[in-house]
Amino acid sequence: MKILLRAATIFDASSAFHQQQQHIVIENGIITYIGADEQQADQIITVEGLCVSAGWIDMFAYAGEPGLEYKEDLETLSAAAAAGGFTEVLCLPNTNPVVQSKAGINFIKSKSALLPVTLHPLAALTVETQGKDLTEMIDLYKAGAIGFTDGTKPLQGADVLLKALQYLQTFDGLLLNRPEHTRLSEHGQMHEGQASTRLGMKGIPALAEEVMVTRDLQLLAYTGGRMHFSLVSTAAAIEAIRQAKAAGLQVSCDVASYQLAFTDETIPPFDTNYKVLPPFRGEADAAAIREGLQDGTIDALVSAHMPQDTESKKLEFDLAEFGIINLETAFAVANTTLGDTLSTAALVEKFAANPRRILGLPAPRLEVGEAANLTLFSPDEVWTPTLAHTKSKSGNSPFFGQALRGKVIGIIHKGQVVLNSSF
Amino acid sequence: MQELSVRHLLGIKDITVQDIRLIFETADNFKDVLNRPIKKVPSLRDITIANVFFENSTRTRLSFELAEKRLSADVVNFSSSGSSVKKGETLLDTVNNILAMKVDMVVIRHSSPGAPHFLSRHINANIINAGDGTHEHPTQALLDAFSIREKYGEVAGKKIVIIGDILHSRVALSNIFALQKLGAEVMVCGPVTLLPRYIKDLGVKVETDVRKALAWCDVANVLRIQLERQQMKYFPSLREYSLYYGIDKRMLDSLDKEITVMHPGPINRGVELSSDAADSHHSIILNQVENGVAIRMAVLYLLAARQ
Repeated sequence: MKILLRAATIFDASSAFHQQQQHIVIENGIITYIGADEQQADQIITVEGLCVSAGWIDMFAYAGEPGLEYKEDLETLSAAAAAGGFTEVLCLPNTNPVVQSKAGINFIKSKSALLPVTLHPLAALTVETQGKDLTEMIDLYKAGAIGFTDGTKPLQGADVLLKALQYLQTFDGLLLNRPEHTRLSEHGQMHEGQASTRLGMKGIPALAEEVMVTRDLQLLAYTGGRMHFSLVSTAAAIEAIRQAKAAGLQVSCDVASYQLAFTDETIPPFDTNYKVLPPFRGEADAAAIREGLQDGTIDALVSAHMPQDTESKKLEFDLAEFGIINLETAFAVANTTLGDTLSTAALVEKFAANPRRILGLPAPRLEVGEAANLTLFSPDEVWTPTLAHTKSKSGNSPFFGQALRGKVIGIIHKGQVVLNSSF
Repeated sequence: MQELSVRHLLGIKDITVQDIRLIFETADNFKDVLNRPIKKVPSLRDITIANVFFENSTRTRLSFELAEKRLSADVVNFSSSGSSVKKGETLLDTVNNILAMKVDMVVIRHSSPGAPHFLSRHINANIINAGDGTHEHPTQALLDAFSIREKYGEVAGKKIVIIGDILHSRVALSNIFALQKLGAEVMVCGPVTLLPRYIKDLGVKVETDVRKALAWCDVANVLRIQLERQQMKYFPSLREYSLYYGIDKRMLDSLDKEITVMHPGPINRGVELSSDAADSHHSIILNQVENGVAIRMAVLYLLAARQ
């Protein structure tokens, strides 16, 4: 099978063709030609404004398999990921059972082998993600765990974090954690501010995140090792990470790609499709996120894909679960809200190059002879996501019916081409 | 005939000052009715109202039920403590089941902020919020403001302090919105742990010394300490609270002016308010209760016209 990507702008900072428009030929999953000559092919992909980059990789996504398949299974997660331009996805360990054994790791790897998207298992950092006893991390690493995290459950104990950071140094393993002091945010439903006060809603103070980031960085400075903060959302947390990086700590962080779509003041009151963790914050935090993305303090953008069945969302606000689905809209939402802040090349860096650098994965290159691990997209195309077209099993998105700028055309990975519609 | 700008009474936030004045004028008429030998009018004949209470309530439910019966509505009551989810049925299912029996209006009390708003998006009956968690309790605020108006002739320009657990109080929030719309100055007073961090942003004064608050105000609305709604400890003991935030008659008598004391009930006598203060001439607590029926009649009557 020979595929021609016609007149595609290449985004690969390591390539001689970076930001150039070329024809690309892929034969049986291998890039065989990049150049100005338009070649014959079995399938020709012609899209106005077509861009090509290394396949994107998502560092924070949730599938309910095993145990909660009614929210999302690995097949639907993979389909949603492909539709959103992700060729690789890290799966959170908060399943039932929790991913904390070789069998759990192997289950995801064996499923992944059958899918067009590579699924990387994250292993639990502590047994049952209870934040107490460490999992068998060396064994899990050898089985293929790409990193260690309690995922949706922020780690609380300073002692556990300290031991984990030390123990992971045995194999230079990566610890990921979403920073939140859960006693300070207990029962919180939305960002603590004027809006939460007006709505009589218990707030999630920015302080709950800031306290943890500051503390965790102190522990990291003490232990050494590597740490990645998932889903940062506050100005003070970003500033603390900026300073830690300047001081030479091995720290990185990501932000949900939807984080800038709303603030606590712009979300419609009591609509559970806007209930996310961390919550949509205030203007000052949004400005700090922009700045952090621009100056590189924030390394990566993630989908923070959190599928929830209707029964978990069509409820009173405080009883509803947190999270929205975002694999399919991750790029479009980021491109729409950040288009004035980040260039397309910079967005690609946050979705592809930086996550791989943090995870120690080889970067797919746009060179002749390389295996194609590619995302095809059109940054200026405006489209509207709808519930009817979503690949996810769940429909908890605030973006349905909203026009977004930046459309994913499809992915080429593992010798397979997955296109969003007939191009 | 004038009508309300809304189909539901979800909160004071969502209504206009004209709505409030219309409710007051209508309540004036119903209050006259309530003082006649025959207290019943046929206004809501053929209207069926469900009082759906997911939280314990005695007086609010009684007040609504009386208001409904005085208006000749058919009334059904549903109560269940705790959230419906724990029983295995969702709120939406519960209410839809009740509506399937041809109910026109739903009065709902629920522990979740926004539960009435959630319902209003999914069902087709008029909804009246009878208290949603720590969010709003609009009819309470209306009857409080109505009682102040009754006592002073108008609300505008009056200084009103709300004392106690502001953090967990839907009464406080609805009162702030209502009193501000009517042109009053509002202060909140309590220990800092019981004051929402961003309460000042709502345009209220904040005071932690109850004596200073009393010296400032014309009206003190004393809130019940909502022990059942506190998910953790916000002050060391009821003893200390009553010593430093409780109001007694001696404090009221020591002021250089006459102030009015209100309480949404039920009173924890000896905690936030001493018996001698609650029963003194300062107090209009029982007038509030009486006005509650007239206000709720007015709200039901005006919303029924917006079917």
